[in-house]
Amino acid sequence: MIISNFDHKMAAHCESGTITSLLKYAGLDITEPLVFGISSGIFFGYFHKSKSFAFPTFIVRSRPGQMRKNIEKRLGLRFTSYTFNDPVKGMYTLDQLLSKNIPTACQVDFFYMDYVPSWEKVHINVHFMVAVGKEGDTYKISDSYFPTMVELNHSALEKGRFAGGSMSPKGFIFHTDKIPQTIDYQSAITKGIKKACFNMLKIPLPFIGIRGMRMFAKKIMEWPNLARDTEHLSHEIMKINILLEDQGTGGAGFRFMYATFLQQASEIIQKPQLKELSKQLMEIGDGWREISLFSARIGKNRDLGQDKLKQLSDMISDRAQVEEMFFNQLAKTIH
Amino acid sequence: MSPPTDALKHDIKQLIMNTLGINDVDIKEIDDEKPLFGGDNALTLDSVDAIEIIMAIQRTYGIRISDQHLAREVVRSINSIAKFISDNQATLKN
Repeated sequence: MIISNFDHKMAAHCESGTITSLLKYAGLDITEPLVFGISSGIFFGYFHKSKSFAFPTFIVRSRPGQMRKNIEKRLGLRFTSYTFNDPVKGMYTLDQLLSKNIPTACQVDFFYMDYVPSWEKVHINVHFMVAVGKEGDTYKISDSYFPTMVELNHSALEKGRFAGGSMSPKGFIFHTDKIPQTIDYQSAITKGIKKACFNMLKIPLPFIGIRGMRMFAKKIMEWPNLARDTEHLSHEIMKINILLEDQGTGGAGFRFMYATFLQQASEIIQKPQLKELSKQLMEIGDGWREISLFSARIGKNRDLGQDKLKQLSDMISDRAQVEEMFFNQLAKTIH
Repeated sequence: MSPPTDALKHDIKQLIMNTLGINDVDIKEIDDEKPLFGGDNALTLDSVDAIEIIMAIQRTYGIRISDQHLAREVVRSINSIAKFISDNQATLKN
């Protein structure tokens, strides 16, 4: 049984793309940037070396699962979700939903998705895709990172859904349940932007939002002392590029996607100032892309002296400064 | 939309070579259709080079390739880059 009228589309990010696909199938005319923006997906957090992090890292989006919860709340819709301890029960429930023609989003470890080319395989426990049917032992999958629908056998899907390790999926699945007749986009967009501004400017923790960017800029100078050797340091510096550009961020650490959201929001809620801010954020994103390129270049060339790290630190400080101005202006505009 | 011209393809090759500081490849040897990454083209590039090219396209032609999935498709070959620039220039004019 394959749900034939499910419209497969590529997306910038797996979680926002999956939510968008499910909502579109349920009849809601919404775009991925709107889902991302309304759910306050934009974020920044820096995590220095600690018991939880073997080496410092950073995030540029809200934590996995938060987009779904926020979009539910702000659009007044409902998803039904399930987690399982027992893989057999987890697979059975998915099959039951598919037999009722319900496209179902699954959280999986990306590594076990056999349709992914071997050179792109990496263990990420928070990848999302949509199961849209099953024939025999094979599932039809809409994975927004791939241009067409793909297929996956039962065993691979089960391994992906019940992979162990940090943030293990525990068979998590969800599907749309209730979509309201009318949606108050004015309120949803306003609340989404206000929360994003709060997250970036007001959370009183030194490692979150703009404060987190400043901490990142300062602490990156200490990275050579935390790395095992030059190879390790080079690997970690090059990861900055991957985190900003290559992990479903839509480019420039989600800044381009949020800019597109602001552009679309300006038309929906008739606020032309948001369009201007969208242009500003695109330019801010270009600066993040410069950081991405610079990191990749010095990492690749093993050119990791203090002068280069200082240059990188200054570039990050500069983004903190322009984003602080940007989010303050955005907060005033939407107030 | 009209297909990309040979002049545009030549400019793209020149742009890539200048951006990446490549001076040991004869521009005439660069194949328009063969993959630029991991293939057997005269130019063989890596993922860092790809970001450099994306940014060079933005600076030179004023076209931002924001999405990484699209970026992968665009920088696949000289032909795909030329088509992307040509299509977007036509859109901008309209």
